[in-house]
Amino acid sequence: KPPPTPRNPPHQTHTLPLSTMQQHGPEDKSCWFSGTQYLSNTLTIAVLGASGDLAKKKTFPSLFSLFNLGYIPETALILGYARSDLSDADLRERIKPFLPDEPKRDKFLERVVYVKGAYDSEEDFGQLDARMAGYESGAKDEGGECDVANRLFYFALPPSVFASAARAVSATCQTNNGWKRVIFEKPFGHSLKSFRKLVDDIDSTFSESQIYRIDHYLGKEMVQNLMALRFTNAMFEPIWNRDHVQSVSIHFKENFGTDGRGGYFDSIGIIRDVMQNHLLQVLSIIAMEPPVSVSGERGSEFLRDEKVKVLQSIEPIKIENVVLGQYLKEIDGQNRPGYRDDDGVPNDSVTPTFATIVFYIRNARWAGVPFIMRAGKALNERKSEIRVQFKRPATADYLFSEAEHSAPNELVMRLQPEEAIYLKMNVKTPGLAQTTTVTEMNLDYQNRFKETEAGEAPEPDAYARLILEVLRGRHATFVREDELQIAWELFDPLLEKIEKERSEPIGYAYGSRGPKESDELFERVGFQYAGEQYHWKK
Amino acid sequence: DGEYCSQKMEEFLPKIHYVQGGYDDPEAFKRLDAAVSKLETEMIADSKSAAKDSHRHDVGANRLFYLAVPPSVFSEAIAGVNQGARAPHGWTRVVVEKPFGRDAESYAKMRVEVAEQLSEDETYRIDHYLGKELVQNLMTLRFANAIFEPIWNRNYIESVEVTFKENFGVEGRAGYFDNIGIIRDIMQNHLLQVLALVGMEGPLSLHSEDIRNEKVKLLRSIKQLTPEDFVLGQYRAAGKRQGYLDDPDVPNSSRCPTFAACVFNINNRRWDGVPFLMKAGKALDERKAEIRIRFKKVPGNIFGASNMNGNELVIRVQPDEAIYLKITSKVPGLTSRLDESRLNLFYRTAWEESKDIPDAYERLILDVIHGEKSLFIRDDELLVAWDIFSPALLAMENDHQLKPEPYNYGSTGPVECEYLAAKHGVKWGYD
Repeated sequence: KPPPTPRNPPHQTHTLPLSTMQQHGPEDKSCWFSGTQYLSNTLTIAVLGASGDLAKKKTFPSLFSLFNLGYIPETALILGYARSDLSDADLRERIKPFLPDEPKRDKFLERVVYVKGAYDSEEDFGQLDARMAGYESGAKDEGGECDVANRLFYFALPPSVFASAARAVSATCQTNNGWKRVIFEKPFGHSLKSFRKLVDDIDSTFSESQIYRIDHYLGKEMVQNLMALRFTNAMFEPIWNRDHVQSVSIHFKENFGTDGRGGYFDSIGIIRDVMQNHLLQVLSIIAMEPPVSVSGERGSEFLRDEKVKVLQSIEPIKIENVVLGQYLKEIDGQNRPGYRDDDGVPNDSVTPTFATIVFYIRNARWAGVPFIMRAGKALNERKSEIRVQFKRPATADYLFSEAEHSAPNELVMRLQPEEAIYLKMNVKTPGLAQTTTVTEMNLDYQNRFKETEAGEAPEPDAYARLILEVLRGRHATFVREDELQIAWELFDPLLEKIEKERSEPIGYAYGSRGPKESDELFERVGFQYAGEQYHWKK
Repeated sequence: DGEYCSQKMEEFLPKIHYVQGGYDDPEAFKRLDAAVSKLETEMIADSKSAAKDSHRHDVGANRLFYLAVPPSVFSEAIAGVNQGARAPHGWTRVVVEKPFGRDAESYAKMRVEVAEQLSEDETYRIDHYLGKELVQNLMTLRFANAIFEPIWNRNYIESVEVTFKENFGVEGRAGYFDNIGIIRDIMQNHLLQVLALVGMEGPLSLHSEDIRNEKVKLLRSIKQLTPEDFVLGQYRAAGKRQGYLDDPDVPNSSRCPTFAACVFNINNRRWDGVPFLMKAGKALDERKAEIRIRFKKVPGNIFGASNMNGNELVIRVQPDEAIYLKITSKVPGLTSRLDESRLNLFYRTAWEESKDIPDAYERLILDVIHGEKSLFIRDDELLVAWDIFSPALLAMENDHQLKPEPYNYGSTGPVECEYLAAKHGVKWGYD
């Protein structure tokens, strides 16, 4: 069947890369939509930045997770690359403490080797290439079923060396005959301008179809479930629009502060840290139209096209719909220090550790519905959730005299600490009373899905899940360049304003709910507080 | 529980008195009246002497008559109450139990007889299903939740089922049951009432007449049933259990159905084309009464899998009250597999007090005392209910060629039942 005609995504005031279909280069044609084909091919995985925190705590454990379950073949070669002077054994010793004590752990560690090199040196990366090629030809001689050799490069690198590493890898390490895929981590720039510079710096290194940009929220179980929930349940779709939805809110709450890493956080702020990426991704999935399909060769692109489309419909952020906060010392309790008390934070820092932003989407489905994003550190609890709040039924006020005891329906999806989905609804109070009571219909995640995949731990890490998708060649859960472009366009004006005006964020006590102005904003745009949530006014 | 209960019991028991008499004996009712009047005088004196009410001269005495008598002496008993034992100062209310006639004709006769003795206001016809917790909940569920009403119609709903299953047979009551059959026993009253609550339009208020008006309106839109709409069954011996015909009180040639299923068509804008399935049976595999709303499948399914089931809202009336929503969700793990899962509301876990959910009868009697009629059946409701069932009932009873399909004690019922649903393009839901 001939490939379908490539489509261009819609153009706005910026130039976008052409549709990924057109960019589809020859290197990817073999094992195109590989699915599980990669298991019978040779596989080498290079972890760049192997001595760093991310690699130790996330990357290697995720690779082990997949290895343990058989998703990475036992013959695969995993190379750590960094500047430090380490031997193979040294690297294995470093990563071992972060791996669970499973029977296959030692076998995995034997597959891990170390290559020392600078991040900007083509010569050093040439060594990496040679090492990989050597292994690949050896594997071929042993008679693999498919004499195709695939390579995966995980860039666990700081922004300062990222671009030069990308150029060097691209120039020297694409000598294999199978696919060559790269995984990029955030941050993807610091502003719209720096993002464009980054794009230019790595221009012509890798094609969009080779690139997998991680936003680990897209690997979370509940976020992946969002799509299933929306598009496989006929009863939600008819009410998933402005006629029935009162508000959508996305909450991210941490109950600890920067705890000594304030210096690093200060140049970033909560908006760049969490909102411009993770929460915006979640918003796009909640709001998007159903894609043409989600499976098959083009499923990933159809899906991401819809995400881009809805992001483009978001109206520019209005400053009156923004509340910024910064946490102060704790009142009572453990007297934990405020943000500025952290050594690495300048005394006059205006970096927000809390923000509430209200978005509006300019399309037929969502016009007028507030999408409220709230993120903050050092709050009263650790919780991330999505709440789709429905309008009060037209009949409630004249039928039920106890109207104040009934709450608007809400579909709540909790991402963490424990995944849950529940539907808040009103029932008659059990017993002889004639009043209504608010309760919930609950998807008991923990118990319901005790048996998942055979022998698998019920909660695979988001990173493991995402790396598996890279091996399978599925882009759906990764961020496309045009998505990033729009995300920056959306937030850049606000971030610039904060930096230029340096206005004081509102102070809130460590361990509290955050500034009350945030609750006021929620209320002003129409979020309906129901009884038990409405604490602060009392 | 125990101590409080036994203390209350000691206060309660002395309030019970016994009067002997025939149901059709006017003298007996005079004796009853005299006994009650004497007690009333004592009670009034007591309450006046208690400081609070000493100034009152208008203390009335209300009388509630609960008729738990066999149908054969029904009219006589009512006449006896009306002519001999009415409350002189206060209201008189009479609670009557089914059966309310055997068919349209006998009910028409009965209502005239009753109307001669009692006003509609004084008549409380019990259908105890209306007192069940989750049946009462239907109003709240439908109208206090914005998420259901937009999809509560033919555009989104594929079918509605009302099901009643018992896992025991007629043991011991066969003589009574053989005269009645499952349709009169359960379907024409209890299940039809539930169906009316599911299908009706929103009422003007929660006042009893407004709710009952809507129920009647819905019932009037139901097309009259014909024998073709029915599947009948009769349980036979299986394992250690004896069959219906094996019961000594059942005549050997009995064609009385212990199981019946039928399909309703509601002729209105909301429900045109949506089959309302009803099923009731004894000696089946489980004990359960539930309402099941099955929603249509997703149009334009993008997930490729063509055999995913539609959503279902299940309201389990008994046992173990619960409401749950069957949805499709991603199976946790490294695949993109989808599977059915549930959003659950189990009353026993949601509320501590739910283990003390009062019996339907408690609630109903309380409502009689309060004069609250929304949980009782109105005269016109009964007329329409008989209208719907009566012709088919009589036709099936008089057709001696028509035999109910046998099914094993403890099974899911007659096989023909599946074909009944299939004929309307739908399936029964099983969990």
